[in-house]
Amino acid sequence: MSAVPSPLRAPRLVRACQAAAAGWNRLGEQTAFYLRGIVSIKDALIYYRTEIIRVIAQMSMGVGALALIGGTVMIVTFIMTNIGFQVAIVGYSQLSNVGVEALAGFFSAYTGPRLAAPLVTSIGLAATIGAGATAQIGAMRINEEIDALEVMGVRAIAYLVSTRVLGGLVLAIPLCCVSLLTTFLSTQFLIANTYHQSGGVYNHYFTSFLRSTDVLWALIQGTLQALAIMLVHTYYGFNASGGPAGVGEATGRAVRASLVVSTIVTIAAGLALYGRGGDFHLSG
Amino acid sequence: MVATRPLAKPLREVGAFYALLLDCFVQFVRPPFPWREFILQSWFVARVSLIPALLLGGAFNAFVIFILDVLLFEIGAADASGAGAGLAVVAQIEPGITVLVIGGSAATAMCADIGARTIREEIDAMKVMGINPVHRLMVPRVAALTVNGFLLMSLGTVVALSSDYLFAVYVTNVNPGAYAASLTLLAGLPDVVIAIVKATLFGAAAGAIACYKGFTVGGGPQGVGNAVNETVVYTFMALFVINTLLSAVLAQAQFR
Repeated sequence: MSAVPSPLRAPRLVRACQAAAAGWNRLGEQTAFYLRGIVSIKDALIYYRTEIIRVIAQMSMGVGALALIGGTVMIVTFIMTNIGFQVAIVGYSQLSNVGVEALAGFFSAYTGPRLAAPLVTSIGLAATIGAGATAQIGAMRINEEIDALEVMGVRAIAYLVSTRVLGGLVLAIPLCCVSLLTTFLSTQFLIANTYHQSGGVYNHYFTSFLRSTDVLWALIQGTLQALAIMLVHTYYGFNASGGPAGVGEATGRAVRASLVVSTIVTIAAGLALYGRGGDFHLSG
Repeated sequence: MVATRPLAKPLREVGAFYALLLDCFVQFVRPPFPWREFILQSWFVARVSLIPALLLGGAFNAFVIFILDVLLFEIGAADASGAGAGLAVVAQIEPGITVLVIGGSAATAMCADIGARTIREEIDAMKVMGINPVHRLMVPRVAALTVNGFLLMSLGTVVALSSDYLFAVYVTNVNPGAYAASLTLLAGLPDVVIAIVKATLFGAAAGAIACYKGFTVGGGPQGVGNAVNETVVYTFMALFVINTLLSAVLAQAQFR
Protein backbone atom coordinates (compact mmCIF):
# COMPACT_ATOMS: atom_id res chain seq x y z
CA MET A 1 0.00 0.00 0.00
CA SER A 2 1.55 3.25 -1.03
CA ALA A 3 0.83 6.56 0.58
CA VAL A 4 -2.19 8.47 -0.61
CA PRO A 5 -1.11 10.23 -3.82
CA SER A 6 -1.25 13.98 -3.81
CA PRO A 7 -4.37 15.11 -5.60
CA LEU A 8 -2.44 17.91 -7.27
CA ARG A 9 0.26 17.27 -9.87
CA ALA A 10 2.02 20.59 -9.41
CA PRO A 11 0.63 22.07 -6.21
CA ARG A 12 2.66 25.24 -6.25
CA LEU A 13 1.85 26.06 -9.87
CA VAL A 14 -1.83 25.26 -9.38
CA ARG A 15 -2.00 27.41 -6.27
CA ALA A 16 -0.30 30.30 -8.05
CA CYS A 17 -2.73 30.01 -10.95
CA GLN A 18 -5.68 29.85 -8.56
CA ALA A 19 -4.46 32.97 -6.77
CA ALA A 20 -4.10 34.79 -10.09
CA ALA A 21 -7.58 33.65 -11.16
CA ALA A 22 -9.03 34.74 -7.81
CA GLY A 23 -7.47 38.17 -8.22
CA TRP A 24 -8.88 38.40 -11.73
CA ASN A 25 -12.32 37.35 -10.48
CA ARG A 26 -12.17 39.89 -7.67
CA LEU A 27 -11.48 42.59 -10.24
CA GLY A 28 -14.53 41.46 -12.19
CA GLU A 29 -16.68 41.40 -9.06
CA GLN A 30 -15.57 44.90 -8.16
CA THR A 31 -16.34 46.18 -11.64
CA ALA A 32 -19.78 44.56 -11.54
CA PHE A 33 -20.39 46.08 -8.10
CA TYR A 34 -19.35 49.55 -9.27
CA LEU A 35 -21.57 49.34 -12.35
CA ARG A 36 -24.51 48.21 -10.23
CA GLY A 37 -23.83 51.02 -7.79
CA ILE A 38 -23.84 53.60 -10.58
CA VAL A 39 -26.88 52.18 -12.37
CA SER A 40 -28.84 52.02 -9.11
CA ILE A 41 -28.45 55.78 -8.63
CA LYS A 42 -31.67 56.03 -10.65
CA ASP A 43 -33.49 53.79 -8.15
CA ALA A 44 -32.06 55.74 -5.24
CA LEU A 45 -33.30 59.01 -6.77
CA ILE A 46 -36.78 57.57 -7.23
CA TYR A 47 -37.27 55.56 -4.03
CA TYR A 48 -34.84 56.78 -1.36
CA ARG A 49 -34.84 60.56 -1.62
CA THR A 50 -35.04 61.15 2.14
CA GLU A 51 -32.17 58.71 2.69
CA ILE A 52 -30.06 60.67 0.20
CA ILE A 53 -30.67 63.90 2.11
CA ARG A 54 -29.88 62.16 5.41
CA VAL A 55 -26.66 60.65 4.03
CA ILE A 56 -25.51 64.00 2.64
CA ALA A 57 -26.09 65.68 6.01
CA GLN A 58 -24.29 62.89 7.82
CA MET A 59 -21.35 62.87 5.41
CA SER A 60 -20.78 66.59 5.66
CA MET A 61 -20.93 66.56 9.46
CA GLY A 62 -19.19 63.25 10.14
CA VAL A 63 -20.14 60.74 12.84
CA GLY A 64 -19.08 60.20 16.43
CA ALA A 65 -16.11 62.16 17.68
CA LEU A 66 -15.46 63.57 14.22
CA ALA A 67 -18.70 65.56 14.40
CA LEU A 68 -17.36 67.09 17.62
CA ILE A 69 -14.44 68.71 15.85
CA GLY A 70 -16.61 70.09 13.07
CA GLY A 71 -17.07 67.25 10.61
CA THR A 72 -15.73 66.75 7.10
CA VAL A 73 -15.77 70.43 6.19
CA MET A 74 -13.62 71.42 9.15
CA ILE A 75 -11.18 68.56 8.60
CA VAL A 76 -10.70 69.42 4.93
CA THR A 77 -10.34 73.08 5.88
CA PHE A 78 -7.72 72.22 8.47
CA ILE A 79 -5.69 70.05 6.10
CA MET A 80 -5.86 72.60 3.30
CA THR A 81 -4.85 75.44 5.63
CA ASN A 82 -1.67 73.55 6.34
CA ILE A 83 -1.14 72.90 2.64
CA GLY A 84 -1.58 76.62 1.98
CA PHE A 85 1.01 77.42 4.64
CA GLN A 86 3.32 74.91 3.07
CA VAL A 87 2.88 76.45 -0.38
CA ALA A 88 3.71 79.82 1.15
CA ILE A 89 6.76 78.56 3.05
CA VAL A 90 8.24 76.53 0.20
CA GLY A 91 7.25 78.94 -2.56
CA TYR A 92 8.42 82.08 -0.82
CA SER A 93 11.71 80.69 0.43
CA GLN A 94 12.60 79.11 -2.92
CA LEU A 95 11.52 82.13 -4.98
CA SER A 96 13.47 84.47 -2.74
CA ASN A 97 16.55 82.31 -3.34
CA VAL A 98 16.49 83.51 -6.95
CA GLY A 99 15.29 86.99 -6.00
CA VAL A 100 11.76 86.85 -7.40
CA GLU A 101 9.75 86.54 -4.19
CA ALA A 102 7.26 88.98 -5.72
CA LEU A 103 6.01 86.03 -7.77
CA ALA A 104 4.69 84.26 -4.65
CA GLY A 105 1.15 85.16 -5.75
CA PHE A 106 1.79 83.50 -9.08
CA PHE A 107 3.15 80.40 -7.35
CA SER A 108 0.00 80.15 -5.26
CA ALA A 109 -2.31 80.70 -8.23
CA TYR A 110 -0.44 78.06 -10.27
CA THR A 111 0.10 75.28 -7.73
CA GLY A 112 -3.17 75.74 -5.85
CA PRO A 113 -5.69 74.56 -8.43
CA ARG A 114 -3.26 72.38 -10.38
CA LEU A 115 -1.45 70.47 -7.64
CA ALA A 116 -2.48 71.12 -4.08
CA ALA A 117 -6.23 71.12 -4.34
CA PRO A 118 -6.77 68.04 -6.55
CA LEU A 119 -4.14 65.86 -4.90
CA VAL A 120 -4.83 66.74 -1.29
CA THR A 121 -8.60 67.02 -1.49
CA SER A 122 -8.71 63.37 -2.50
CA ILE A 123 -6.79 62.50 0.68
CA GLY A 124 -9.28 64.47 2.74
CA LEU A 125 -12.24 62.86 1.01
CA ALA A 126 -10.85 59.35 1.45
CA ALA A 127 -10.09 59.88 5.14
CA THR A 128 -13.39 61.47 6.06
CA ILE A 129 -16.42 60.55 3.97
CA GLY A 130 -14.82 57.46 2.44
CA ALA A 131 -13.58 55.78 5.60
CA GLY A 132 -16.79 56.79 7.39
CA ALA A 133 -18.88 55.07 4.74
CA THR A 134 -16.81 51.87 4.97
CA ALA A 135 -17.10 51.82 8.75
CA GLN A 136 -20.86 52.32 8.63
CA ILE A 137 -21.68 49.87 5.87
CA GLY A 138 -19.18 47.35 7.23
CA ALA A 139 -20.79 47.47 10.68
CA MET A 140 -24.20 46.97 9.04
CA ARG A 141 -22.83 43.94 7.18
CA ILE A 142 -21.36 42.42 10.37
CA ASN A 143 -24.60 43.01 12.29
CA GLU A 144 -26.48 41.35 9.41
CA GLU A 145 -28.46 44.53 8.89
CA ILE A 146 -27.83 44.38 5.14
CA ASP A 147 -29.34 40.91 4.97
CA ALA A 148 -32.28 42.24 6.96
CA LEU A 149 -32.70 45.07 4.48
CA GLU A 150 -32.72 42.63 1.59
CA VAL A 151 -35.28 40.42 3.33
CA MET A 152 -37.50 43.46 3.83
CA GLY A 153 -37.39 44.07 0.09
CA VAL A 154 -35.21 47.17 0.25
CA ARG A 155 -32.76 47.42 -2.65
CA ALA A 156 -29.58 47.22 -0.57
CA ILE A 157 -27.20 48.54 -3.21
CA ALA A 158 -29.42 51.45 -4.13
CA TYR A 159 -30.20 52.21 -0.48
CA LEU A 160 -26.65 51.99 0.89
CA VAL A 161 -24.23 52.37 -2.00
CA SER A 162 -25.91 54.59 -4.57
CA THR A 163 -27.11 57.09 -1.98
CA ARG A 164 -23.55 57.49 -0.70
CA VAL A 165 -22.06 57.73 -4.18
CA LEU A 166 -24.60 60.41 -4.98
CA GLY A 167 -23.85 62.13 -1.68
CA GLY A 168 -20.14 62.10 -2.50
CA LEU A 169 -20.83 63.63 -5.90
CA VAL A 170 -23.01 66.35 -4.37
CA LEU A 171 -20.47 67.10 -1.65
CA ALA A 172 -17.42 67.05 -3.94
CA ILE A 173 -17.88 70.46 -5.55
CA PRO A 174 -18.51 72.45 -2.34
CA LEU A 175 -15.66 70.62 -0.61
CA CYS A 176 -13.32 71.38 -3.53
CA CYS A 177 -14.36 75.03 -3.41
CA VAL A 178 -13.72 75.12 0.33
CA SER A 179 -10.32 73.51 -0.09
CA LEU A 180 -9.29 75.84 -2.93
CA LEU A 181 -10.41 78.92 -1.02
CA THR A 182 -8.66 77.76 2.14
CA THR A 183 -5.39 77.15 0.30
CA PHE A 184 -5.49 80.55 -1.34
CA LEU A 185 -6.43 82.41 1.82
CA SER A 186 -3.92 80.68 4.08
CA THR A 187 -1.09 81.20 1.59
CA GLN A 188 -2.01 84.85 1.31
CA PHE A 189 -2.27 85.18 5.09
CA LEU A 190 1.18 83.73 5.70
CA ILE A 191 2.87 85.68 2.93
CA ALA A 192 1.29 88.95 3.96
CA ASN A 193 1.72 88.56 7.71
CA THR A 194 4.86 86.49 8.22
CA TYR A 195 6.96 87.39 5.22
CA HIS A 196 5.53 90.94 5.10
CA GLN A 197 5.02 91.13 1.38
CA SER A 198 2.72 93.95 0.39
CA GLY A 199 -0.80 92.77 -0.29
CA GLY A 200 -0.98 94.63 -3.59
CA VAL A 201 2.02 92.80 -5.07
CA TYR A 202 0.62 89.44 -4.01
CA ASN A 203 -2.85 90.20 -5.32
CA HIS A 204 -1.58 91.54 -8.62
CA TYR A 205 0.35 88.39 -9.50
CA PHE A 206 -2.28 86.16 -7.98
CA THR A 207 -5.19 87.58 -9.98
CA SER A 208 -3.24 87.87 -13.24
CA PHE A 209 -2.18 84.22 -13.15
CA LEU A 210 -5.24 82.55 -11.64
CA ARG A 211 -6.94 80.94 -14.62
CA SER A 212 -10.61 80.16 -14.38
CA THR A 213 -10.19 76.99 -16.46
CA ASP A 214 -7.64 75.66 -13.94
CA VAL A 215 -10.20 76.08 -11.19
CA LEU A 216 -12.86 74.41 -13.30
CA TRP A 217 -10.55 71.45 -14.04
CA ALA A 218 -9.76 71.18 -10.32
CA LEU A 219 -13.48 70.89 -9.62
CA ILE A 220 -13.89 68.23 -12.31
CA GLN A 221 -10.94 66.28 -10.90
CA GLY A 222 -12.49 66.55 -7.44
CA THR A 223 -15.81 65.19 -8.67
CA LEU A 224 -14.15 62.22 -10.38
CA GLN A 225 -12.13 61.51 -7.25
CA ALA A 226 -15.24 61.60 -5.10
CA LEU A 227 -16.92 59.10 -7.43
CA ALA A 228 -13.93 56.74 -7.36
CA ILE A 229 -13.44 57.06 -3.61
CA MET A 230 -17.07 56.45 -2.71
CA LEU A 231 -17.28 53.42 -5.01
CA VAL A 232 -14.12 51.83 -3.58
CA HIS A 233 -15.08 52.53 0.01
CA THR A 234 -18.63 51.26 -0.30
CA TYR A 235 -17.35 48.09 -1.98
CA TYR A 236 -15.02 47.29 0.90
CA GLY A 237 -17.73 48.09 3.44
CA PHE A 238 -20.34 46.05 1.62
CA ASN A 239 -18.05 43.01 1.55
CA ALA A 240 -16.64 43.27 5.08
CA SER A 241 -16.38 40.04 7.04
CA GLY A 242 -14.84 38.72 10.22
CA GLY A 243 -16.40 40.45 13.20
CA PRO A 244 -15.53 43.86 14.65
CA ALA A 245 -11.88 43.58 13.64
CA GLY A 246 -13.05 42.85 10.09
CA VAL A 247 -14.75 46.25 9.91
CA GLY A 248 -11.55 47.96 10.93
CA GLU A 249 -9.48 45.96 8.49
CA ALA A 250 -11.93 46.68 5.68
CA THR A 251 -11.66 50.38 6.46
CA GLY A 252 -7.88 50.22 6.34
CA ARG A 253 -7.83 48.28 3.09
CA ALA A 254 -10.36 50.67 1.58
CA VAL A 255 -8.29 53.73 2.52
CA ARG A 256 -5.20 52.14 1.03
CA ALA A 257 -6.97 51.19 -2.20
CA SER A 258 -8.81 54.46 -2.60
CA LEU A 259 -5.67 56.56 -2.08
CA VAL A 260 -3.98 54.77 -4.95
CA VAL A 261 -7.08 54.74 -7.16
CA SER A 262 -7.91 58.40 -6.59
CA THR A 263 -4.35 59.49 -7.29
CA ILE A 264 -4.36 57.55 -10.55
CA VAL A 265 -7.76 59.06 -11.44
CA THR A 266 -6.36 62.52 -10.70
CA ILE A 267 -3.38 61.96 -12.92
CA ALA A 268 -5.41 60.53 -15.77
CA ALA A 269 -7.90 63.39 -15.53
CA GLY A 270 -5.09 65.93 -15.20
CA LEU A 271 -3.27 64.68 -18.26
CA ALA A 272 -6.53 64.56 -20.21
CA LEU A 273 -7.64 68.03 -19.17
CA TYR A 274 -4.34 69.88 -19.43
CA GLY A 275 -3.02 67.93 -22.39
CA ARG A 276 0.58 66.94 -22.89
CA GLY A 277 1.65 70.51 -23.47
CA GLY A 278 0.20 71.60 -20.15
CA ASP A 279 -2.08 74.33 -21.54
CA PHE A 280 -0.17 77.12 -19.84
CA HIS A 281 1.16 80.35 -21.27
CA LEU A 282 3.08 82.66 -19.03
CA SER A 283 2.71 85.64 -21.34
CA GLY A 284 -1.08 85.32 -21.35
CA MET B 1 -21.69 71.74 34.30
CA VAL B 2 -23.78 70.70 31.32
CA ALA B 3 -22.65 73.68 29.28
CA THR B 4 -18.96 72.86 29.71
CA ARG B 5 -19.29 69.25 28.66
CA PRO B 6 -18.96 69.69 24.86
CA LEU B 7 -15.85 71.77 25.45
CA ALA B 8 -14.35 69.50 28.07
CA LYS B 9 -14.65 66.30 26.04
CA PRO B 10 -12.07 67.07 23.31
CA LEU B 11 -9.75 68.46 25.99
CA ARG B 12 -10.10 65.27 28.01
CA GLU B 13 -9.34 63.24 24.88
CA VAL B 14 -6.15 65.22 24.30
CA GLY B 15 -5.17 64.79 27.92
CA ALA B 16 -5.79 61.05 27.84
CA PHE B 17 -3.76 60.79 24.62
CA TYR B 18 -0.79 62.53 26.20
CA ALA B 19 -1.09 60.37 29.31
CA LEU B 20 -0.93 57.26 27.14
CA LEU B 21 2.00 58.69 25.21
CA LEU B 22 3.87 59.33 28.45
CA ASP B 23 3.04 55.83 29.59
CA CYS B 24 4.44 54.50 26.33
CA PHE B 25 7.69 56.41 26.81
CA VAL B 26 8.09 55.08 30.34
CA GLN B 27 7.36 51.53 29.23
CA PHE B 28 9.68 51.86 26.26
CA VAL B 29 12.76 52.12 28.45
CA ARG B 30 11.66 49.38 30.85
CA PRO B 31 14.06 46.48 30.33
CA PRO B 32 12.47 43.50 28.60
CA PHE B 33 11.82 45.05 25.23
CA PRO B 34 9.25 42.87 23.42
CA TRP B 35 11.52 41.96 20.49
CA ARG B 36 9.36 39.17 19.13
CA GLU B 37 6.23 41.30 18.84
CA PHE B 38 8.33 44.14 17.44
CA ILE B 39 9.74 41.99 14.65
CA LEU B 40 6.34 40.50 13.83
CA GLN B 41 4.74 43.94 13.69
CA SER B 42 7.57 45.39 11.60
CA TRP B 43 7.21 42.58 9.11
CA PHE B 44 3.44 43.13 9.05
CA VAL B 45 3.79 46.89 8.45
CA ALA B 46 6.35 46.36 5.70
CA ARG B 47 4.14 43.75 4.05
CA VAL B 48 0.98 45.86 3.92
CA SER B 49 2.57 49.22 3.12
CA LEU B 50 5.36 48.48 0.69
CA ILE B 51 3.43 48.09 -2.56
CA PRO B 52 0.91 50.90 -1.95
CA ALA B 53 3.76 53.21 -0.90
CA LEU B 54 5.65 52.56 -4.12
CA LEU B 55 2.52 52.81 -6.29
CA LEU B 56 1.26 55.97 -4.64
CA GLY B 57 4.72 57.55 -4.55
CA GLY B 58 5.38 56.84 -8.20
CA ALA B 59 1.98 58.07 -9.39
CA PHE B 60 1.75 61.14 -7.15
CA ASN B 61 5.22 62.34 -8.06
CA ALA B 62 4.74 61.81 -11.77
CA PHE B 63 1.82 64.23 -11.70
CA VAL B 64 3.73 66.79 -9.65
CA ILE B 65 6.65 66.65 -12.02
CA PHE B 66 4.33 67.02 -15.00
CA ILE B 67 2.83 70.24 -13.61
CA LEU B 68 6.24 71.59 -12.56
CA ASP B 69 7.80 70.80 -15.93
CA VAL B 70 5.02 72.63 -17.76
CA LEU B 71 5.91 75.72 -15.76
CA LEU B 72 9.66 75.27 -16.17
CA PHE B 73 9.35 74.79 -19.93
CA GLU B 74 7.29 77.95 -20.15
CA ILE B 75 9.96 80.06 -18.44
CA GLY B 76 12.70 78.30 -20.40
CA ALA B 77 14.23 76.52 -17.43
CA ALA B 78 13.58 72.92 -18.42
CA ASP B 79 17.12 72.08 -17.37
CA ALA B 80 16.12 72.76 -13.79
CA SER B 81 13.50 70.00 -13.87
CA GLY B 82 15.71 67.81 -11.71
CA ALA B 83 16.04 70.56 -9.13
CA GLY B 84 12.28 70.89 -8.91
CA ALA B 85 11.92 67.14 -8.63
CA GLY B 86 14.56 66.91 -5.93
CA LEU B 87 12.99 69.65 -3.87
CA ALA B 88 9.42 68.51 -4.32
CA VAL B 89 10.07 64.80 -3.80
CA VAL B 90 12.66 64.75 -1.06
CA ALA B 91 11.55 67.67 1.04
CA GLN B 92 7.80 67.77 0.64
CA ILE B 93 6.05 64.84 -0.93
CA GLU B 94 7.77 61.63 -0.01
CA PRO B 95 7.52 62.00 3.79
CA GLY B 96 3.85 62.77 3.27
CA ILE B 97 3.26 59.78 1.02
CA THR B 98 5.04 57.55 3.50
CA VAL B 99 2.76 58.52 6.31
CA LEU B 100 -0.36 58.44 4.17
CA VAL B 101 0.37 54.83 3.37
CA ILE B 102 1.52 53.91 6.87
CA GLY B 103 -1.47 55.72 8.39
CA GLY B 104 -3.87 54.39 5.81
CA SER B 105 -2.86 50.75 5.77
CA ALA B 106 -0.75 49.79 8.79
CA ALA B 107 -2.04 52.09 11.53
CA THR B 108 -5.66 51.33 10.62
CA ALA B 109 -5.01 47.59 10.83
CA MET B 110 -3.32 48.05 14.21
CA CYS B 111 -6.22 50.16 15.46
CA ALA B 112 -8.67 47.51 14.28
CA ASP B 113 -6.65 44.76 15.93
CA ILE B 114 -6.31 46.51 19.31
CA GLY B 115 -9.88 47.80 19.11
CA ALA B 116 -11.20 44.28 18.59
CA ARG B 117 -9.17 43.09 21.58
CA THR B 118 -10.56 45.94 23.67
CA ILE B 119 -14.19 45.15 22.95
CA ARG B 120 -13.56 41.44 23.46
CA GLU B 121 -12.13 42.50 26.86
CA GLU B 122 -8.80 40.85 26.11
CA ILE B 123 -7.02 44.02 27.20
CA ASP B 124 -8.78 43.89 30.56
CA ALA B 125 -7.83 40.22 30.84
CA MET B 126 -4.18 41.13 30.24
CA LYS B 127 -4.34 43.73 32.98
CA VAL B 128 -5.86 41.21 35.38
CA MET B 129 -3.03 38.79 34.63
CA GLY B 130 -0.54 41.51 35.54
CA ILE B 131 0.65 42.13 31.97
CA ASN B 132 0.87 45.77 31.01
CA PRO B 133 -0.87 46.13 27.63
CA VAL B 134 1.03 49.33 26.90
CA HIS B 135 4.32 47.53 27.35
CA ARG B 136 3.28 44.36 25.56
CA LEU B 137 1.19 45.78 22.71
CA MET B 138 1.72 49.51 22.24
CA VAL B 139 5.51 49.81 22.58
CA PRO B 140 6.38 47.28 19.85
CA ARG B 141 3.72 48.68 17.52
CA VAL B 142 4.85 52.28 17.85
CA ALA B 143 8.46 51.17 17.47
CA ALA B 144 7.60 49.12 14.38
CA LEU B 145 5.79 52.03 12.73
CA THR B 146 8.64 54.40 13.54
CA VAL B 147 11.27 52.11 12.06
CA ASN B 148 9.13 51.45 9.01
CA GLY B 149 8.49 55.16 8.51
CA PHE B 150 12.22 55.64 8.32
CA LEU B 151 12.80 52.69 5.97
CA LEU B 152 9.83 53.32 3.68
CA MET B 153 10.79 56.96 3.34
CA SER B 154 14.24 56.03 2.05
CA LEU B 155 12.92 53.44 -0.36
CA GLY B 156 10.06 55.67 -1.50
CA THR B 157 12.40 58.55 -2.29
CA VAL B 158 14.48 56.37 -4.58
CA VAL B 159 11.40 55.04 -6.37
CA ALA B 160 9.86 58.51 -6.64
CA LEU B 161 13.01 60.05 -8.07
CA SER B 162 13.23 57.23 -10.62
CA SER B 163 9.59 57.64 -11.61
CA ASP B 164 10.16 61.39 -11.91
CA TYR B 165 13.16 60.73 -14.09
CA LEU B 166 11.18 58.44 -16.41
CA PHE B 167 8.30 60.90 -16.60
CA ALA B 168 10.51 63.95 -17.13
CA VAL B 169 12.70 62.33 -19.75
CA TYR B 170 10.20 60.26 -21.72
CA VAL B 171 6.98 62.28 -21.41
CA THR B 172 8.01 65.90 -21.08
CA ASN B 173 11.32 65.48 -22.96
CA VAL B 174 13.74 66.93 -20.45
CA ASN B 175 17.41 66.29 -21.13
CA PRO B 176 18.38 63.31 -18.92
CA GLY B 177 21.82 64.69 -18.18
CA ALA B 178 20.40 68.03 -17.12
CA TYR B 179 17.88 66.27 -14.90
CA ALA B 180 20.54 64.29 -13.10
CA ALA B 181 22.91 67.23 -12.83
CA SER B 182 20.37 69.64 -11.36
CA LEU B 183 18.93 67.11 -8.91
CA THR B 184 21.00 68.36 -6.00
CA LEU B 185 20.69 72.07 -6.84
CA LEU B 186 17.94 72.93 -4.37
CA ALA B 187 17.67 69.87 -2.15
CA GLY B 188 20.79 69.18 -0.13
CA LEU B 189 21.76 67.14 2.88
CA PRO B 190 19.70 69.24 5.37
CA ASP B 191 16.57 68.56 3.32
CA VAL B 192 17.24 64.84 3.31
CA VAL B 193 17.88 64.78 7.05
CA ILE B 194 14.74 66.82 7.79
CA ALA B 195 12.71 64.60 5.47
CA ILE B 196 13.88 61.46 7.24
CA VAL B 197 13.18 63.06 10.62
CA LYS B 198 9.71 63.98 9.37
CA ALA B 199 8.92 60.47 8.18
CA THR B 200 10.18 58.93 11.41
CA LEU B 201 8.13 61.33 13.53
CA PHE B 202 5.07 60.64 11.38
CA GLY B 203 5.50 56.94 11.94
CA ALA B 204 5.65 57.41 15.70
CA ALA B 205 2.63 59.74 15.68
CA ALA B 206 0.60 57.33 13.54
CA GLY B 207 1.42 54.45 15.90
CA ALA B 208 0.51 56.41 19.01
CA ILE B 209 -2.79 57.62 17.53
CA ALA B 210 -3.71 54.13 16.33
CA CYS B 211 -3.00 52.57 19.72
CA TYR B 212 -4.84 55.30 21.62
CA LYS B 213 -7.90 54.93 19.41
CA GLY B 214 -7.70 51.15 19.72
CA PHE B 215 -7.50 51.20 23.51
CA THR B 216 -10.40 53.63 23.91
CA VAL B 217 -12.78 51.98 21.47
CA GLY B 218 -16.34 51.19 22.53
CA GLY B 219 -19.64 50.03 21.11
CA GLY B 220 -19.28 46.95 18.91
CA PRO B 221 -18.43 46.78 15.20
CA GLN B 222 -19.62 50.32 14.50
CA GLY B 223 -17.34 51.55 17.30
CA VAL B 224 -14.31 49.81 15.82
CA GLY B 225 -15.15 51.21 12.39
CA ASN B 226 -15.46 54.71 13.81
CA ALA B 227 -12.21 54.34 15.74
CA VAL B 228 -10.40 53.34 12.55
CA ASN B 229 -11.97 56.25 10.70
CA GLU B 230 -10.82 58.64 13.43
CA THR B 231 -7.33 57.11 13.33
CA VAL B 232 -7.10 57.92 9.62
CA VAL B 233 -8.36 61.46 10.09
CA TYR B 234 -6.18 62.30 13.09
CA THR B 235 -3.09 60.73 11.53
CA PHE B 236 -3.53 62.75 8.36
CA MET B 237 -4.14 65.92 10.36
CA ALA B 238 -1.05 65.29 12.48
CA LEU B 239 0.89 64.68 9.28
CA PHE B 240 0.03 68.05 7.82
CA VAL B 241 0.75 69.93 11.05
CA ILE B 242 4.15 68.28 11.57
CA ASN B 243 4.96 68.84 7.91
CA THR B 244 4.18 72.55 8.07
CA LEU B 245 6.12 73.06 11.30
CA LEU B 246 9.24 71.25 10.11
CA SER B 247 9.12 72.97 6.70
CA ALA B 248 8.98 76.32 8.47
CA VAL B 249 11.94 75.36 10.63
CA LEU B 250 13.95 74.31 7.60
CA ALA B 251 13.01 77.42 5.61
CA GLN B 252 14.03 79.64 8.52
CA ALA B 253 17.31 77.79 8.89
CA GLN B 254 18.08 78.31 5.20
CA PHE B 255 17.19 81.99 5.32
CA ARG B 256 20.06 82.75 7.65
